[in-house]
Amino acid sequence: MKKTTKKQTESIVIRTMSRIMIPFIQLFGLYVIIHGEASPGGGFQGGVILGTSIILLAIVFDLREAERRMPWKVITAFMCVGLLIYSGIGLLDLLSGGAYLEYTKLPLPLPAHEISALSILFVEIGIGITVMAVIILLFYYLVGDQNAS
Amino acid sequence: MLLLEFITLVLIFTAFLCLYRVVVGPRAGGRIIAVNVIGTKTVVLLVLIGFIYDSLYFVDVALVYALFNFIMTLAVSKYLEMGRI
Repeated sequence: MKKTTKKQTESIVIRTMSRIMIPFIQLFGLYVIIHGEASPGGGFQGGVILGTSIILLAIVFDLREAERRMPWKVITAFMCVGLLIYSGIGLLDLLSGGAYLEYTKLPLPLPAHEISALSILFVEIGIGITVMAVIILLFYYLVGDQNAS
Repeated sequence: MLLLEFITLVLIFTAFLCLYRVVVGPRAGGRIIAVNVIGTKTVVLLVLIGFIYDSLYFVDVALVYALFNFIMTLAVSKYLEMGRI
């Protein structure tokens, strides 16, 4: 019990390594999201990688530190914003005369396949934001419940 | 190219040897190390398979696998040491 009250929980090697690694993990998550249509991966996988960076922060430092960097309000806002992006693009397609998520009917001055690629990119970004927020929220709930009992 | 496939098969065989140590390992620390070694072997296997099939996508998968393996090892080690995450 005395060990659990310490501020810095892990050794300095782990802390320094994680501090170096976390920006690269987030960069790789963004790469997976943006290259989702041309390579393995996509919105869900990139979102999981982005959420994993915050989970690594919570494991290495503390849950309080992770909650300071990524508070609950921000997580809720991210969930709603990602869902709004996804369903907003679907509703824009619906308003411009197509079916739900039928990208090529959008009234943009671009060729059809470019409109489709752009819309898929935004949909992937929305999925990524939502999945990142939900993964971090699940981790907070699991660890917080464990700490409370 | 036959050599690469032979190396791949040998790595799979040694991964199963590590799996034996995971299952019957006498202590938890040895089990963690064995799981970590299996993960590292899997990363090398993925890169080898990508080299054999001449595809760069396997390198992405290997990077993600290495990342999750690292975080899993950290989480299990911390849980063993502190009793919580």
